[in-house]
Amino acid sequence: MITARVSGVPAVLRMPLRRRSWREAIHCLLGAPLGIGGAVLLLVLLALGLGFALSLLGAVLGLLLLALATALARGLGAVHRALAGRLLGIWIAPAPACPAQPGLGVLGRLDARIRDGPAWRQVGYVVAKLPLAVCGMYAVLFWVVGVFNLAAPVRWAVPWLRGDDSGLMLLTPLPFGGSPVVHSFAGTLFGVPLGAGVLLVAPWLTRAVARADVRLMQALLGPGALAERVRDLEETRALAVDDSAALLRRLERDLHDGAQVRLVTLALSLDMIRGKLSEERPPDPQAVLRLVDGARENATAALAELRDLSRGLHPPVLDDGLADALASLTERSSVPVELTVDVGERPSPAIETIAYFCVAELLTNVIKHSGAARATVSAERRADGTLRLRVTDDGRGGARSRPEGGLDGLRQRVRTVDGTLDVTSPEGGPTVVSVDLPPHA
Amino acid sequence: MRVVIAEDAAVLRELLFQMLDDRGYEVCAAVGDPDALRAAVTRHRPDAAVVDIRMPPTHTDEGLRAAIDIRRELPDTGVLLFSQYVETKYVTRLLADGSAGVGYLLKERVANIAEFTSALDRVADGGTALDPEVVTRLAAAGRKAAEMDTLTARERDVLSRMAEGRSNAAIADALHVSAGTVEKHVAAVFGKLGLPASDDDNRRVLAVLKFLRD
Repeated sequence: MITARVSGVPAVLRMPLRRRSWREAIHCLLGAPLGIGGAVLLLVLLALGLGFALSLLGAVLGLLLLALATALARGLGAVHRALAGRLLGIWIAPAPACPAQPGLGVLGRLDARIRDGPAWRQVGYVVAKLPLAVCGMYAVLFWVVGVFNLAAPVRWAVPWLRGDDSGLMLLTPLPFGGSPVVHSFAGTLFGVPLGAGVLLVAPWLTRAVARADVRLMQALLGPGALAERVRDLEETRALAVDDSAALLRRLERDLHDGAQVRLVTLALSLDMIRGKLSEERPPDPQAVLRLVDGARENATAALAELRDLSRGLHPPVLDDGLADALASLTERSSVPVELTVDVGERPSPAIETIAYFCVAELLTNVIKHSGAARATVSAERRADGTLRLRVTDDGRGGARSRPEGGLDGLRQRVRTVDGTLDVTSPEGGPTVVSVDLPPHA
Repeated sequence: MRVVIAEDAAVLRELLFQMLDDRGYEVCAAVGDPDALRAAVTRHRPDAAVVDIRMPPTHTDEGLRAAIDIRRELPDTGVLLFSQYVETKYVTRLLADGSAGVGYLLKERVANIAEFTSALDRVADGGTALDPEVVTRLAAAGRKAAEMDTLTARERDVLSRMAEGRSNAAIADALHVSAGTVEKHVAAVFGKLGLPASDDDNRRVLAVLKFLRD
């Protein structure tokens, strides 16, 4: 196959040689008979079905035909989706399946088929595809005409292609004006620019048709906005549940390995001290002091661990609002941070908490990974009510959101409240992470 | 008496070491994970091992599994498990091969050194040491055999202390009654549970197992 990389040739001239253009042309070519045939078959079924359904005598037969039409539309939709995926690289999620309703009998199932909303959207697609398929055929014709004319000198040179002496026909892609006929080899050379010109236009036409088809598919073949939303919510709900379960597990582990051990050790030290003090002979003051020091150390460590844990659950300063909480957070940062907060009316507590922990984690990233000398944090309320957080640093950049990574975890947490997270971090920096959160969860 | 300690938290491990050392125990090894525990027990053949249930790598029941292995391979080694929670499931697994030479205490019991070391001694001697909390939970959780219902409250009290691994004298002390009274209760328990008169200690173990397993 001719590769797309012909250097030094303008992009416009390379268009007919690009693999993508060919794939789009093949999509138009294969889609045309499928689109036209499918649509005709479906329209016949629909017309028959409607006709019978409206006539009282054949109502059941009519409904059966309509149900058959919806099933056909689903099948055709699946083929079109597969074709688009294979050739155009655009995979469209399948529409939700017709809900199975067991125990309803034949009539119940028929009813479910006929009320199958997503299937009717596929019917809509198959019907709308009909004119598009015709356009696609016409666009493919440009490719054929282009090659046909371009090959005119060759056709002249090969006797059995030239045919009789009535001259060599050239084609125009226009449906009117007739076809020019040439009678000399010099005349066939006229076909070369004509063919090349048509061939340069052809890819744009097939692309336009393919694009329109993709739009149509996204609108009618996909799961639909509501179903997308449901899937999105299911996914983010699962994330939120996993997240809180993981938080509880971490909390239990931290308590078990931290404060609880410290307190057990403290209690043991106290009983050891008690043992030393109640011995018959006078106790060794140094040994007792060591134990007391150890006990105090464990008590202090337990307090510190409990404080860190409770602050990790909910920083008390957050009760005074995001501005104070972010100020206290950035003050503790080891990298100097310039903070601007202008959030206006307070967001809901859940949003404030998420915002706080986002900034905390992003700042931790800055300190740990970026090597930055300074950072800025801003929180502002945008005109549409969105709370926008932005953390920038002048570090080495190259921050990537990878699965199971910190940024990805943050993105998922933000998604649970319909927020978004964007990372811009070219190699060499600077890194900008912006998080948009709705004002209410 | 020779002891091996397995506890993953270093602060507690060191203090346990010091405490047992102070009290005249010979601590052969103090380790932080189950593999090191198995190696240490095989190498030193201690009289008893003090084992934390939750240890790396998964921090679930590594200690328990190591304890069961040790009991199976070296039955002369007593194992005293300790943990911050009482899990009846763990005890049932531990007692599946009999109650001799095993113990299970809540971690905070180490703060009462006298109790802790007496439990350790009992386990090393092939006895039992179950935390009162463990006994209560087990007794409450299990499905009771019909004969358990025939015990009086006092007899059940005596039996649960037997389950903790205490001697008649210790039970008498704890219940503030005479040793004779305790013996009477114990005999009544054996009778009601249908345990024939034979070697006293064996009957004790059987009664306890009946009490805990049913």
